[in-house]
Amino acid sequence: MAAADSPSATLRRRDLCSRGIRLAGKMRSDVIDLLDTYVERQGLDASASVAVVEGVPAAAVEHWDEQSGTQRLLENLAAYRTFRTLLAQMLEEQREQLGEADAGLGRALAAVLLQVSAFAYHLEELLRLESRGAPSEEEAGPPQPLHLGLFERKLRGLGVLRELAQWAVRSARDLRQLAKPSLGSSSALSTAESP
Amino acid sequence: MFSGWNWVACGLYLLLSISSFEVSGGLVQSCGHIIPESPVLALGSNFTALCILNESCLDFGNIYAHQIIWKTKNRVVPKEQYREINRTVSSVTFNDTSSLATPLTCNVLADGQIEQNIYGITVTVGLPPEKPKNLSCIVNQLSKLTYPMTCTWNPGRPTFLDTRFVLKHRWPQENFPDCIPKDVNNSCTINDVQFFVNLELWVEAANALGKAESDPLVLDPIEIVKPLPPHNLSVKSGLLPTVLKLSWDNRISGAVMKLKFNIRYRIVGDTDWMQVPPEDTASPRTSFSVQGLRPYTEYVFSIRCIREDGVGYWSDWSEEKTGVTTEDEPSKGPSIWRIIDASHSSASWIVHLMWKALEPSEANGVILQYEVTVRPKSSLSSPPEKYSVNTTNLTLKLPNGTYEVSVIARNKEGASPPSVLLIPASNSKAPVKNLRALPKDGKLWVEWTAPNSYVLKYVIEWCLVSNSSDCIIEWQSEPGNVQETYLKGDIKPFKCYLITVYPLYDDGQGSGLSVKAYLQQDRPSKGPTVQTKKVGKAEAVLTWNHLTVDEQNGFIRSYVILYKTVDGRETAVTVDPSKTEYTLSSLTSDTLYTVRMMAYTDEGGRSGPDFTFTTQKFGKGEIEAIVVPVCLAFLLIVLLGVLFCFNKRDLIKKHIWPIVPDPSKSNIAQWSPQVPAKHNFSSKDDHMYPEGSFTDVSVVEIEADDKKSFSEQDLKPFDLLKKEKSTSEGHSSGIGGSSCMSSPRQSVSDSDEGETTQNTSSTVQYSTVVLNGYRDQTPVQVFSRSESTQPLLDSEERSEDHAGGGDSSALRQQYFKQNGGQDEADTDRPCFERRKQITSVNERDLVGFAQLQILDQSSQLLGLELEKNTREAALPDILQTNTEGQTVRPEAVGGNPLLVDEMPKSYLPQTVRQGGYMPQ
Repeated sequence: MAAADSPSATLRRRDLCSRGIRLAGKMRSDVIDLLDTYVERQGLDASASVAVVEGVPAAAVEHWDEQSGTQRLLENLAAYRTFRTLLAQMLEEQREQLGEADAGLGRALAAVLLQVSAFAYHLEELLRLESRGAPSEEEAGPPQPLHLGLFERKLRGLGVLRELAQWAVRSARDLRQLAKPSLGSSSALSTAESP
Repeated sequence: MFSGWNWVACGLYLLLSISSFEVSGGLVQSCGHIIPESPVLALGSNFTALCILNESCLDFGNIYAHQIIWKTKNRVVPKEQYREINRTVSSVTFNDTSSLATPLTCNVLADGQIEQNIYGITVTVGLPPEKPKNLSCIVNQLSKLTYPMTCTWNPGRPTFLDTRFVLKHRWPQENFPDCIPKDVNNSCTINDVQFFVNLELWVEAANALGKAESDPLVLDPIEIVKPLPPHNLSVKSGLLPTVLKLSWDNRISGAVMKLKFNIRYRIVGDTDWMQVPPEDTASPRTSFSVQGLRPYTEYVFSIRCIREDGVGYWSDWSEEKTGVTTEDEPSKGPSIWRIIDASHSSASWIVHLMWKALEPSEANGVILQYEVTVRPKSSLSSPPEKYSVNTTNLTLKLPNGTYEVSVIARNKEGASPPSVLLIPASNSKAPVKNLRALPKDGKLWVEWTAPNSYVLKYVIEWCLVSNSSDCIIEWQSEPGNVQETYLKGDIKPFKCYLITVYPLYDDGQGSGLSVKAYLQQDRPSKGPTVQTKKVGKAEAVLTWNHLTVDEQNGFIRSYVILYKTVDGRETAVTVDPSKTEYTLSSLTSDTLYTVRMMAYTDEGGRSGPDFTFTTQKFGKGEIEAIVVPVCLAFLLIVLLGVLFCFNKRDLIKKHIWPIVPDPSKSNIAQWSPQVPAKHNFSSKDDHMYPEGSFTDVSVVEIEADDKKSFSEQDLKPFDLLKKEKSTSEGHSSGIGGSSCMSSPRQSVSDSDEGETTQNTSSTVQYSTVVLNGYRDQTPVQVFSRSESTQPLLDSEERSEDHAGGGDSSALRQQYFKQNGGQDEADTDRPCFERRKQITSVNERDLVGFAQLQILDQSSQLLGLELEKNTREAALPDILQTNTEGQTVRPEAVGGNPLLVDEMPKSYLPQTVRQGGYMPQ
């Protein structure tokens, strides 16, 4: 982190944090909308409880405020890479299941997938600015494809989306925390906006 | 003959051979081909094509490369561009492909004459694509989740080729599908974009001649969003009459974009929008209370939004919604004015109270009624009178005095402040100063200088001045602190307005000051009709009438009189507009002039009808100056002539109607034995020879010694003359006197004749009297002068001596000399002398004298009075004396009868030519 002290790096970091926070907010908004659509189209109950999805990183964490910036970024990056894989699988499954009959759900899933990818790019860039560098995809380890039934896949998708919404909130907070001058290498960061 | 047919047969064989080869070789198999095959060439580049003949054709058809003819679209390419590479290959080179037409064909002349196509290619000429420029993008929000991005660019010059444009975009770690334009080459729309990640965009253009890429554009699509405008706008009345509350829904998620807003509003009917201060709406929201509005006013609202930080594009304005503020009490009282009619009675007035309906901005609601209070100022004890009316005027009959009139307007929320007007007895206070009116910005402005005293307010009255309508007064009220305003009414252009400004003081009103003005001037609708009032030799007085106010269309600044002769140049004279008469001077006499008149306003002039007049030939007084002197001269000449004739009447008489002595009545005739007895000279015969029938008179001069033949009585009247003349000139010797005035009687009777007569004492000369026919009378017998020189008397010899000539011609010469020269004093003087002598002689020798004597003027002056006195007295005596008929009666000529003295019998002519003097 200390290496990224040049003004341009500071501005870049500030810009990435700012837009990452906004992206997280929009992602959360879109995921919330997508959840409603998903529940409706998949015939699920919105109040259905979903067990912890395997391979999906939990957003909740103890001692959150004690985490370092790099740690936050790494956890976020790992989570979103996982979400990217899961969402890609969901999109594939959705296309296999519904074909082009429900293009709206597919487009919404694709849009969220793009946002997840974009957020992961933000995180990678931030890590690069921290002179840390992003770990390779293999380092995080892609979740293995599971052979689940249709309903389970639907429930897993619901769980993925719910967890993604949670992560969107946490990511925004993480980035806001990173943007604070005390934690960042630059005092130029202004107060980030809440999503 | 044989060889000819042989050549034809060979040609046909060759053609058949080529054709058969083509057919046998396949569907399309020719004797050669062109390289390159259908090339695409850059415009302006050089190009070389090769035509390669098949070996088989060489032997089969005797076709070689040198026989190749290149053609572009049936036009033979000049052989300078050919090049025979070998016997089967021919090339053609074009230095500039812009002139290269398609198709390009390779041909041969079969048997040297028949052209045969070998091969052809299509050449495409164009340009490589230019680098696309000015790439820009915008994200147009279509719905809450739909954000298509449209990018546009400049494709560059036309390439004349099929050129493919592709919009490419990618994230740093991810590529997206290309965006391929449909039907256009300068824009493309990406249906869905993701925000908050930088997107790299660029355009690729490619055709057969090349490929080009635009500069990349890197942006976050959230920065180029044009959001949808807020919707579901609603307007609600607030608690206050000046507030309306707006609320709306945003159609873009706050997670995507935070918005700020613009709110605009206007009063219904107005066209100008007002805007809520942007800083008041610079934060995300869905409602806003607009304040500072007018009560009871309908407003129209509209709203738009943009990203909170101002990056991106403003949305369109939302749909308009209206709302009405609630009522409030009127903000001011109505403006009030009056017209006082004092003509009906001396003790009271008819007062027409008028007030203006409040403007909506002042009424703040629906005016339910007006309350008018009239309070006499003189008697404070009398209660005020109150009237409630729904109209804006009230007519009252009030006794003379001063009143305070107040008017309030009332709506459901309350009453307005009162408007107060003092109705004074007279407008005796100071008026405004320097009043002037001028049009400005389509309005008629009035400006004035305030009086020295404090002015409460001003009332501006105006009315349209017209010949066809009365002056209908309109008015308006202005605050006392203003010194200019414009007339708030339907002010028409080209019309004259009479504007009067009254200052209103605390204690009354000032006198009005008026001015006339036009909102807009124009040329007069017609010109003045000019005519002449008086035309002279070099001047003409023109007169005209002023244009009516309806015809003027503006202030008449000047008149211009234009006049010209038929062939002359037009002359213009500018005349003051107040004049109605003008005198043109320096005109040419006796000339036809055409005159017309133009009236000018500030905007131009218009001409009246032409009027023609002709100047006089003579000026005023010229004729009089000519005629009067001429007349005077004529009169003078006539007078002189008359006087001359009067003075010379005897001479004239002598020439015109001389008295011819009637020999028949003369003593000689009576005496003469040859006088025919039949001669009877009666009074009737006198008339046979009236005056003027004589053309010549001869004087018979007779020397008469016998003065005793006259009685003393007869001579008495001549004594005075004799005495007078004798006293002045003395007594002449008698020799000279005999030649001038031989007969005192004649001298007296013809006293105005200074002519002396010859003394005929010694010689009697008979004149030949030639009588012309007078009127219808028979001419009288001519008297011929006697040539006799026989002495009649002894004194004749003496007389001839004194006269200085013994013959008759000499005597006549003397006679005419005396008769014709009045100014010959030397001649006249002897005449007087002679007359005196004659007088003295007559006293002695009067008897026997018969003499016609014409006296000159000098003698007349001397003898005129005497003649008058003596004529009447003497004539009867003379006639009485000559009762025997010896006297020839004088013929009356103008009251001056000539006297023919009685001829004494003793004097007889010795020889009388027969018939010489005999009257016929």
